[in-house]
Amino acid sequence: MQKPPSRRGFLTLAAATGALTALPAFTATAAPRRPTAVPAADTRHQLWWRAPADEHTLIRQGLPVGNGRLGALATNDPGRELLLVTDVTLWTGGLNDTLDADGQFPYGREDFGSLTLLARLTVDLPDHDLSAVTGYRRTLDLAQGVVTTSYVHAGVTYRRQLFASRPDDVIVLHFTQSGGGRHTGTITLAGTHGENGTAESFAGTFPGGLRHGAAIAAHGSGGTVRTTGSHLTFTDCRELTVVLSGGTNYVPDAATRYRDPGLDPRALARTKVRTAARHSAGTLLRTHVADHHALFGRFALSLGTSTAEQRSLDTWERIQARARDGEPDPELEAAYVQFGRYLMIAGSRDSLPLGLQGPWLDGNDPDWMGDYHTDINLQMNYWMADRTGLAPCFDAFTDYCVAQLPSWTDLTRRLFDDPRNRYRNSSGRNAGWTVAISTNPFGGGGWWWHPAGNAWLCNSLFEHYEYTNSRTHLEKIYPLLKGACEFWEARLLTTTLPGTGREVRIADSDWSPEQGPLDAKGITYAQELVWALFGNYRTAARELGRDAGYARAVGALREKLYLPVVSPTTGRLEEWMSPDDLGEPAHRHLSPLVGLFPGDRIRPDGSTPADIVSGATALLTARGMNSFGWANAWRALCWARLKNPDKAYQLVVTNLRPSHDGGNGTAPNLFDIYEAGPGRGIFQIDANLGTPAAVTEMLLYSRPGHLELLPALPDAWAASGSLTGAGARGGFLVDLRWRDGKPTEVRIRSVGGTTTSVGYAGTSRTVRVRPGEAVTLRDLVR
Amino acid sequence: MRSPSYPVLPARGLTAAVVLALTAGLTTAVPAAAHTGGPPGPAAKPYMGWSSWSMQSSKYPGLNPDGDYSYLTEANVLKQADALAARLKPYGYTYVNLDSGWWRDKDWKPGFDAHARQQADPVRFPHGMKAVADHLHGLGLKAGIYLPVGLEKEAYGDGKVPLWHADGCTTADIVHGDLRTTNGWDSAYKLDFAKPCTQKYVDSQARMIASWGYDFLKLDGVGPGSFKSGENYDNVADVAAWQKAIAATGRPVHLELSWSLDIGHAADWKKYANGWRVDTDVECYCNTLVSWENSVDDRFTDTPGWTRHAGPGGWNDLDSLDVGNGAMDGLTKAERQTYATLWAVAKSPLYTGDDLTRLDSYGVKLLTNREVIAVDQGDSPPARPVTPSDPQQVWAAKNPDGTRTVALFNLADAPAAVTADFSSLGLTGKASVRDLWNHENLGTYTNTITEALPAHGSRLFTVTPRGGTLTTTGYEAEAAANTLGGRASVTDCSACSGGRKVGDLYTGGSLRFNDVVVDRPGTYLVKVAYISGDPRPVNVSAGSGAATRHTFPSTGDWGTVETVSVPVTLKAGSNTVTFDSGSDYAPDIDRIDVPSSPRQ
Repeated sequence: MQKPPSRRGFLTLAAATGALTALPAFTATAAPRRPTAVPAADTRHQLWWRAPADEHTLIRQGLPVGNGRLGALATNDPGRELLLVTDVTLWTGGLNDTLDADGQFPYGREDFGSLTLLARLTVDLPDHDLSAVTGYRRTLDLAQGVVTTSYVHAGVTYRRQLFASRPDDVIVLHFTQSGGGRHTGTITLAGTHGENGTAESFAGTFPGGLRHGAAIAAHGSGGTVRTTGSHLTFTDCRELTVVLSGGTNYVPDAATRYRDPGLDPRALARTKVRTAARHSAGTLLRTHVADHHALFGRFALSLGTSTAEQRSLDTWERIQARARDGEPDPELEAAYVQFGRYLMIAGSRDSLPLGLQGPWLDGNDPDWMGDYHTDINLQMNYWMADRTGLAPCFDAFTDYCVAQLPSWTDLTRRLFDDPRNRYRNSSGRNAGWTVAISTNPFGGGGWWWHPAGNAWLCNSLFEHYEYTNSRTHLEKIYPLLKGACEFWEARLLTTTLPGTGREVRIADSDWSPEQGPLDAKGITYAQELVWALFGNYRTAARELGRDAGYARAVGALREKLYLPVVSPTTGRLEEWMSPDDLGEPAHRHLSPLVGLFPGDRIRPDGSTPADIVSGATALLTARGMNSFGWANAWRALCWARLKNPDKAYQLVVTNLRPSHDGGNGTAPNLFDIYEAGPGRGIFQIDANLGTPAAVTEMLLYSRPGHLELLPALPDAWAASGSLTGAGARGGFLVDLRWRDGKPTEVRIRSVGGTTTSVGYAGTSRTVRVRPGEAVTLRDLVR
Repeated sequence: MRSPSYPVLPARGLTAAVVLALTAGLTTAVPAAAHTGGPPGPAAKPYMGWSSWSMQSSKYPGLNPDGDYSYLTEANVLKQADALAARLKPYGYTYVNLDSGWWRDKDWKPGFDAHARQQADPVRFPHGMKAVADHLHGLGLKAGIYLPVGLEKEAYGDGKVPLWHADGCTTADIVHGDLRTTNGWDSAYKLDFAKPCTQKYVDSQARMIASWGYDFLKLDGVGPGSFKSGENYDNVADVAAWQKAIAATGRPVHLELSWSLDIGHAADWKKYANGWRVDTDVECYCNTLVSWENSVDDRFTDTPGWTRHAGPGGWNDLDSLDVGNGAMDGLTKAERQTYATLWAVAKSPLYTGDDLTRLDSYGVKLLTNREVIAVDQGDSPPARPVTPSDPQQVWAAKNPDGTRTVALFNLADAPAAVTADFSSLGLTGKASVRDLWNHENLGTYTNTITEALPAHGSRLFTVTPRGGTLTTTGYEAEAAANTLGGRASVTDCSACSGGRKVGDLYTGGSLRFNDVVVDRPGTYLVKVAYISGDPRPVNVSAGSGAATRHTFPSTGDWGTVETVSVPVTLKAGSNTVTFDSGSDYAPDIDRIDVPSSPRQ
């Protein structure tokens, strides 16, 4: 898994030397590799539908494509192909460094800002009205990263392909036919913010100075393509290719306020589409598929075999049948995991990370700004990356935090002490950095201060190190970890536990996300996260051979941290330092269980006091089994950690249930729908990414030094299955096969790890493997 | 026309409503020419044409510049007639029907002749009503006119107005002593047919319109119906009197009843009239002619109960077919096609209310598709839903030649695939499919045909069987092996197979078939025979699977059995199939028939 030496390495070097040199997110790219073949399609990786979307149903039925920066939702309607295009860097708003009267951050679309649409591309073929075609079908090939639409009109079979290429940095629509058909219609490119433009490009500038622009190029064969006023007209074309690019002058550099005034996105987009249009659509396709498949193919999953009846259904019918008939559909369940991976490959590459919706919007104003929520959602988005062989996709998250750090540090220094801020340090000291609950790409925060958010971000970044053993990565994130420790060193309060005389350190006033008292001291959420942070920092300092003295101090502080107890009143792990439940027992967030997942402090393996495990189990039980998609995913992960396959599987299946009338569940396009209000469902990507993490966590548990095979394998998947290329903490990739509920073979490849124990059903053995090499075990069941 | 139209009108002049007769020509009697049968009787087929009300009732800019409903004038009617004759007549559109207001001025004040009969408003119709009919006939068209049921209050004239050719009868001699009112707007005194003078009044009206040469009369505000019930609003006697009066004129005048007629009186309407509006106005009284919601889409719910009452001589009237101009109609292309599809398969009269001088090209295509018109005008029976009334539904009719007319509908707000299972048509195996809207043979399909439909979209096919006969196994609801839950009970039912059914499926009532046996696992289209006097939901499940809620269309009354096919997933071997009312009221179940093989 050698990563190409690239920008990442360069950035790391720059960061390590303290002089982060910014590269624009939208930038010229080197000529890509041009393969001559496309890997064969595999129907297990194809989702398909018998109906398109329309403009009003894009979020439920539109199919997503993306190249990691540009994303689009498409209708795939024969008569009107509509793409709503998003660039993950196109945000309104800015630094947002004037606090509200309550010492918290403004959270509006003009101050904090919002992710917003870049462009709207329409290709109208008036004769191909949906009511006039037959045999309609569209397919999303998850492995190839291509949407194919086909239908018959007047005896001619028409076929169109849609993909978003990272190597060429364009979105491509390719229209073909067989049987003597022709394409006639119009192509319309438009901004969604009142931009000025021509038929082929437009540009705009937001009040904060962020520039954006987009361009198209089209060419046909056999007919004509010409500009007619504000659109392009194509007439009698046997084939038609439309290429779109666009972007902003965003740069991940606090020193330039995250904008490069010298970059003209429209001009760059025009260059990109002209360059791409010199290649045939087939060449662009092969180039894209090779790039996409290089990531997609790193991981495989089989959860068993579906029936012929199940396979005969289209994806939406299958989702409905799964819920109605109650019969496991192992291939559908595996495809849901692969769909999450598809979204990550399409939405998290060299630019900003995946926020609440990734780059898939159906309007200018996504709920919660489509932002980065640091109290679960951003972290959850990346739980699956390493687990499912997408370690390179994690880098967008890391790069984001690294690029935001100077600004986060500056805001913390200038604003956190504000006397109006109820969360300020009562110690009077202030150091390091923290974040707000919401963050934007301009170094700004939104909504309320979120002191423990820094710890959770750091722990997530550190986990990536545990998976990859990448020293480069550790060097990159080290300043984040150290700054967060400094913040907590200044913030922790000393208190004496009543009745014991024991002196402990507790977090200052904070809000357990997003419920209960607004300012409680020593909330479990903060105690657990900081405990893990201090441990991670100590490891990082040791591995990098830095700051030994400070690391010792942090270690000592960690020993004094208060850790939660089980309430004698409720029998549940306390969320606040109180025996009483001060919130909703069934609240969506599992904040007090961060020590169970994603943390490892609470383990059901005998290493954790039994009362803590049972208190955590009781808390998880009280939280219930039916919440929002992301909350179900988190529950499933926790139950997997508690080795309860039935509950974990039930939650996965609950997320797969069809969403009707805006209710929680899965939309026809497999997007997870979050019921924001009665009848109003919105897309939130975290469940699409968190649920795959849960599936893999049910099959493989890892922490540095220990792997556990099939910790929570449900009956539905027990007959036979396999997992290939799954990341494991400790620096391994694991291939695992099982039959009749028992592992039959495991191959452990080192990406840096050397020693680990491998456990199954209470037995354990130690395995040694050299970096780059692999060990295969077969006699696992004794 | 529906109730909101009257309350908004000025009420002045109500007490001084005696209007002098001005037109001597009215007294000319038309020679009686008895209808001798032979060539097609009245309404052998659903009529086709144009009606004025959609444009009269719309707030679309420019249509009614002289006040509400002012579109109805001689000039406008003749303009539309010219357009109809030129563009649509070759396709069978012949009727030009004047709707409400021809005897009212622009302030909606009515005018009556010396015999209490409606009289042409001289501003709207300066040459009188006969001139209009003559002009229409000159174009080879038929002329339609409109009257409200009852004696309009303004025509009463203190009871002293002498009736025409009625041996001294006056208006006081035809109404009840208490001047009880009737019709959908309470705008008329109810006629008392126990009095000998009363029929003479209706005769005089009939003679008048026949003498003018009208071929069609829409009698409006008729009850029970028109949102009214009860004795005062029972106009069955009026309708019978009209039939008699028309017959007496010797002129074949088509009698159409409006609106939302009570289905409980279907037998009366069939006996006396040639068509009846099954629903309220399709017009939206808004800035367009119609709207999809609460206008067109209601017909999918309200039509099925009426289906079996339609046939030669009398048809279910779904109201105007306003699909000719997208901007004026206020509908998407898909909605317009769906609108026309439902009207055609339901064999509703096809009369557009559009501005025929402004049809758009898509509207012309919809209105002049000969294959679709043939579905409406041909000798096949009206279609009925063969699936539950779910967002995606299929309607079908078995044609005399053994083919099936099949309409797919997607009433959801999102594009969706809709499947017609051949087993729901009583077929299995192969069948060839012709797409009527697109004039295209689609080829041969096996067991199903699925198409992608836009939101509110439709497809219309002729399916020609090329396979075998569907074999099924029947299970009676009343069988002792079944399990009844809640208050569900077995009751007698003369129309049901086995003479019994399971009813009282409400608030927790359930019926479980315990031993539905199939050889192969899969999805089976189970044909459910049921009775439901109104559309009702029921939760259907198999085995331990989750229930799917389906709404079964109305069967029109509680004595008629109809069927719909419901997809149910069965295992090989014995299965349970359950019908559960949940917290609602569910249909009564007669039996189920399970095909021998699953959907492929």
